[in-house]
Amino acid sequence: MAKDIYEDFLRLTGFEEDEMPKYLPEWRKASAKLGLTEEDVKFAVKEQLPTYFAIELEGIRKLLGCFIKETIDLTRASEYKERGAKIVYGILPAILHFYYALKLTAPDKVFVSFPDIFLTFILNSFFHKLAPYLEEAERTGIPYGCRHCALNKTRYAARRLGVIPSPDINWIWGFICDEAPKTDEFINIYHDPEWKTYITRLPHDQPLGTVEDEVISRVEYLAAQMKDGFEFVQNEIGIKVSEEKINEVIVIWQRYAAKLAELAQLMAADPQPVGAVSVRLFWEGLFTPFNTGIEAMEEALDIAIKEIKQRVASKEGILPEGAPKLLIYSLHPTVPWVAKTFEENGVGIPLSEFFLLTKKQLMPPTFKDPYMAAAEGWLRTSGMVNPGYQSEQICEKLETHKFDGMVFGLMDFDRWLGSSHRLLARMVEEKTKLPVFYIEGDNWDDRDYSLEALRTRIESICEIMKMRKA
Amino acid sequence: MSILGELAQIARTRPEQLKEQKKKGAKIVGYIGRFVPEELIYASGALPYLLCRGGQPEPPDAVIPYMLRFMSPYSRSQIGYHLLGIDPVIPMLDLTVVQCSDCHESRLADLFEYFKLPTVRLGIPPDWGKSLSRDYYYKGLAQLTEKLEALTDNIVSDQKLKESTDSLNKIRDILSKINLLRINHPPPIGGAEFIRLNHYSFYSDPGNLLPKLNDLYGELQKGSSPFPKEAPRLLLAGHVVGVGDYVVPRLIEESGGVIAAEFLDEGTRHCEWNVKTDGDLMTNLGETYYLERTPPSVFQPAWKERVESIKNLIRDFNIDGVIWYQLSFEEVYDLECSIISKALNEINIPFLKLESSYEYSREAMGPLTTRVESFIETVKQLRS
Repeated sequence: MAKDIYEDFLRLTGFEEDEMPKYLPEWRKASAKLGLTEEDVKFAVKEQLPTYFAIELEGIRKLLGCFIKETIDLTRASEYKERGAKIVYGILPAILHFYYALKLTAPDKVFVSFPDIFLTFILNSFFHKLAPYLEEAERTGIPYGCRHCALNKTRYAARRLGVIPSPDINWIWGFICDEAPKTDEFINIYHDPEWKTYITRLPHDQPLGTVEDEVISRVEYLAAQMKDGFEFVQNEIGIKVSEEKINEVIVIWQRYAAKLAELAQLMAADPQPVGAVSVRLFWEGLFTPFNTGIEAMEEALDIAIKEIKQRVASKEGILPEGAPKLLIYSLHPTVPWVAKTFEENGVGIPLSEFFLLTKKQLMPPTFKDPYMAAAEGWLRTSGMVNPGYQSEQICEKLETHKFDGMVFGLMDFDRWLGSSHRLLARMVEEKTKLPVFYIEGDNWDDRDYSLEALRTRIESICEIMKMRKA
Repeated sequence: MSILGELAQIARTRPEQLKEQKKKGAKIVGYIGRFVPEELIYASGALPYLLCRGGQPEPPDAVIPYMLRFMSPYSRSQIGYHLLGIDPVIPMLDLTVVQCSDCHESRLADLFEYFKLPTVRLGIPPDWGKSLSRDYYYKGLAQLTEKLEALTDNIVSDQKLKESTDSLNKIRDILSKINLLRINHPPPIGGAEFIRLNHYSFYSDPGNLLPKLNDLYGELQKGSSPFPKEAPRLLLAGHVVGVGDYVVPRLIEESGGVIAAEFLDEGTRHCEWNVKTDGDLMTNLGETYYLERTPPSVFQPAWKERVESIKNLIRDFNIDGVIWYQLSFEEVYDLECSIISKALNEINIPFLKLESSYEYSREAMGPLTTRVESFIETVKQLRS
């Protein structure tokens, strides 16, 4: 049984037969290190993955496989370190260009990862088993009651539990929240003096409505901060990256982003061709570096687009044609039942605002300098800017994809990204006159906001939407 | 009336005084946060008003329709009173300067702007060790100066800035001298009154305030202490005790302890650091406000330095125990609490964490009182 279920799991996540001899033992070892039991793997195979992911599609299976391969790789980070590779961590949200540029420059000499994001996605999305990590953090200095972010707790717990080694450098971006970078200071002082961190920050001081990517002084400051941070990282690990490598990554990123824009168009089709959870992880490729490379993700994306195109062409969908369609601020497969519950109640929730790109984001950068280009790109991104500008971007996305309304919330752990939602909801409703809803919850961790707790709220929203559209 | 009573009366009637001044053409500038130099506001000819209220549960709740409820009740209070229609000052402010050093303050600035209140933000990069960040703050001060000049139609001249800096240095000096009297056993003034005194100092013209503080210093030097000699000497640490948020300090001192020192980021004058009045005055302001003072919790790195500062206070003020006064959902202070608790445990200093959402109903006060009384008893026993 044991052998079968691990094999079954790998098959279900897109591994080819010729990959089994290599990956089966590695997956067994990795899952043990992560604290997963055979029962957990069985749960993923029999319940979680078939329930929430369109595993009948090869592109989706391959996507899941990319995350498993990356997680296996992450559990071997200590081995990389022992072999002399430099370990570079980061956290979301960050521009991954610099981390990838390191990897492209010295593939065998550097290991890059945002460890908490992979651990959180894999453990909760696939196995619903992040709680032991969260509880470990809560027992040892990051209290439960303050609504700290699950990502930060997971990063800390992963280090405490020996799942990941200390980094040679942990380049943390505090462009969004305060808690993430301060968690790394916490880890360093409270638990691991070897947890070396360099922080890069940007004050939230732009007046409402400022088009931040057009404020040259702000773009310059951000670019200088990025350059300063990247130079520190390069010096720290002794790897020099040329600007050409960063530009190379920008080209890859833009190509991948263009494909995601195509996928977004397909997901917005009527009827909705596939469940929202299934494709959501593709968007991580825009923000999270894969030490194993982006190529496999892109290949999976190509396959998924082809398969979903066929569904759209044949009007095959998971909902009836004409079903109401809501844009959600951010949908996470870590709490997959949110989208599923909407879909079961006849309302589509196919795309996350946070990851959708505006027309401006798809335009080439104004600047040739890679740091200025990266900074400009960052300041074109809705979640990174003031709510006035962000609400304009949200309105554009609602219009582009013809949504019937929007759902904010599920970010109550985030004092930046989550704290503006009620205000944004008002701004968007005022501008579009579309119905806008707010759900208090946590889309990484469903211990407090369970399906049972939120079911009525979601059902009510669905009823309202169906009545409006009837 | 006692001097403290007089100062309390002046502070209470400050809104009326400001209204009178405004009628005569003065500009009133509200400000939020320790990085906004009062010196600049005075030098522009405007009158500053620190927005620093706290201690009541309804104002933070009034903000919930516009903001996540898991945000600092202190930050939410700064506009919550206004939303409830019970803030006499905000409607008459010509400008509010909101420091943006963390998410809570920046979201507060969002709301000021959303409600069309005249607002300017002062960005405070928390990565304070970099020249890039320092220059950013200095540039922010220069931009603030321009805004103030435009508002008041005055030039912030070196002479004016020197005068306001001198004047506030004197206030800091005398408050510092009063504070140092608390090294005495027992101290002539406890924390509940010293915190209020700090607050009063923000709501009185420096010229009127200084002689009263000098008189108070003289009285305290000569007078006896209201505390018994055996009262455990406590350090009150945390983010802020807002204006009006006096339940916990009073409870501590009514339960047999005395607050002999504070370690707070906001709502207090950082008296140990005066601003130099020679050389480039703007640079001096920047250095003192951004670089020299103990970094706030959100700065990075900060916590090792802050632990050392607390240890120094414990040594210098002969502290027996530390009470960490934390406001709900202030995530950075919550992390710091674990660091400080661990560090103090290593040197056998008793530590109590109190968390408040400004809910001081009778139901809430019972357990709070029990915890504070038990802690003070424990400290007494450990000391004996």
